Amino acid sequence: MKTKILVVEDDSSISELICMNLEAAGYEPLPFTDGLLAERFLKEISLNEPESAGMEAPALALVDVMLPGKDGFELMEDFQRAGIPVIYLTAKDDVLSKVHGLKAGAEDYIVKPFEVLELLVRMEKVLKRTGRSRKIIQIQDVTIDLAQHSVSKNGERVALKPLEYELLVTLAGSRNVAFSREELLNRIWGTDYVGETRTVDVHIGQLRKKLGFHKVIRTISKTGYRLEDLE
Amino acid sequence: MKLWIKLALTTVLVLLAATLSTGAAVIYQALLYNQEKTMESGRQQLSSTAYALARELENGPLKGYSQATKNSYINYTMKKFGVSEYILIEDGKVLCNMTPFELADAGDERWRQEGGYSIIQKRQEQYILIGGQAVPTSDKSSYTLVRVQDISGLYQDMKRQMVFGLWILAGAAGVAMVLIFLLTRRILRPLRELQKAATDISEGDLGRRAHVRTKDEIAVVARAFNRMAERVESQVTELSRVSEQRRQMLGSLTHELKTPMTSIIGYSDTLLHVNVKKEQRERALWHIREECSRLERLSSKLMNLMGLYENDSISMEEISMETLFHRVAQMEKYHLEQMGMTLEVTCSMGKRRVDRDLFESLLVNLIDNGAKASREGDKIFLESEKNRITVRDQGCGIPEEEIGRVTEAFYMVDKARSRKAGGCGLGLALCVMIARLHGARLEIESKVGQGTAVSVIFPD
Repeated sequence: MKTKILVVEDDSSISELICMNLEAAGYEPLPFTDGLLAERFLKEISLNEPESAGMEAPALALVDVMLPGKDGFELMEDFQRAGIPVIYLTAKDDVLSKVHGLKAGAEDYIVKPFEVLELLVRMEKVLKRTGRSRKIIQIQDVTIDLAQHSVSKNGERVALKPLEYELLVTLAGSRNVAFSREELLNRIWGTDYVGETRTVDVHIGQLRKKLGFHKVIRTISKTGYRLEDLE
Repeated sequence: MKLWIKLALTTVLVLLAATLSTGAAVIYQALLYNQEKTMESGRQQLSSTAYALARELENGPLKGYSQATKNSYINYTMKKFGVSEYILIEDGKVLCNMTPFELADAGDERWRQEGGYSIIQKRQEQYILIGGQAVPTSDKSSYTLVRVQDISGLYQDMKRQMVFGLWILAGAAGVAMVLIFLLTRRILRPLRELQKAATDISEGDLGRRAHVRTKDEIAVVARAFNRMAERVESQVTELSRVSEQRRQMLGSLTHELKTPMTSIIGYSDTLLHVNVKKEQRERALWHIREECSRLERLSSKLMNLMGLYENDSISMEEISMETLFHRVAQMEKYHLEQMGMTLEVTCSMGKRRVDRDLFESLLVNLIDNGAKASREGDKIFLESEKNRITVRDQGCGIPEEEIGRVTEAFYMVDKARSRKAGGCGLGLALCVMIARLHGARLEIESKVGQGTAVSVIFPD
């Protein structure tokens, strides 16, 4: 089942932008354009205990600060009651509102305009920190078990080296989003790794061979690599 | 140097100069008078002595005696008068000299002048009065009597008096100085208050006023100063209000710019890096286009708003309001018909001095606002009364607590809705500016669910 993400943003264009990217990356966005509507929804899920009703609660909320009805800071209490971590998305680029937002209990604070990859990475970090990361990632016939650190294709285990595994998880975690070689180097080999971007190419080659992902992991010219999987 | 010290010093100096010159004149006059008197009394004494001597010489047994006898007789007579101040001269020869002085020229004819002659001479530290007269004997003998008198005492007296006078003067001047200093200080006290007030104001205490209770020119200056302070205070308050408004507007502006930019950057980023479905890709392109045109609208509205700050671009002319209404109706007709709305125009206003383009854009703005709030089939009214033009709609209305804010730049009651209708929150701010340029004001009446009426009210 896909991870649900609440998107509370009044600008329809930005809301659609976020939803589009979340969908592509394998999340299920739930958009709200009004603070009061979001509040009503949050009240419902905190009353109904959705887990028992077989409905999965949203794992995270992306919230604009300036909202009609009830603003993002005011909504914080409702999110906390519903037990949903919050990342604020806002055009207000001043330290005071950042401090205010983070003090109020937000997990992160992203200033508009933002890059898609940055948003996805920060979301992933928050999900991991709050123990809401996905347990299993399914890409076509390949299953990644994040708890077991194991990968299987059609039910058969595929032996991956640790770095190859990390590379796969990174690409699959933000599927359909392109990573540059430098980014991958930074994230997997670490910022202090002094190596050539060729290293990434070698590992990608290994992944493609081991998983039969020649078409799934695409080379994007001038950018890097992207794991493509659209339903 | 401080003003009060300057004033006091000048007064004291002038006073001193005046008293000194008066004193000097008085003393000089006294000296002259005393001299005159001394000379006069000397002359009188001399002449009486001369007469007495003449009598003595005439009646005396001198005739027929030898010169030596005569001389000793005269010596004797002179001594009889008992004075050591006389010199007797006969035909230019000193017969007898009782004084300690020697005559320079005994034959000097000055001594024999009619009525006598006298002169004051200064010898070293001594002043001497020399007077001479012919001895009036009946036989016209050529005797001359000269008197030499030491009058240094007179000058010493004068000197003493002068010193005494100077002491008195110095004392008086000292007392006067203290008094003048105190008085000047007191008179100038309001000036110090004025200066303190000015300092306080310059240090930011704009509410400070000068408290001067006198009734002189300083009070007049203080009143003028207070008026100025009043003016400055109100101007500063106004300025800071305006700059606060500008700051808020700038803040809203950056926010307004950020939103479309976030979309544009986000969508183009998505197109570049993210593998999305074909129809989503098209949506992304559509959004980019849409946001760009939003930015375009925003920039042209902003240009309008900026342009209005330059008053010289306005040309006021007498325009028939009926014609103007008609033109506006023509402009809006197609646009409103498309949305299924109608515009009803009634005009009972004559001519008015307005800027045609600006006033048209004001009315168009108001009608567009009405249209944005209305539904299909609604009517929008453009009406005029004596000094008021009203645009009324039957749309959704503005909540009461928001009415005060709708004229703020970038303020939108329902952001999502007005965005969809192509608004950027500048229309009413622009209208307020245009109305203000025409000396008019905007009045907004609204009831939620019943509609809004925005009136442009001219002062007359």
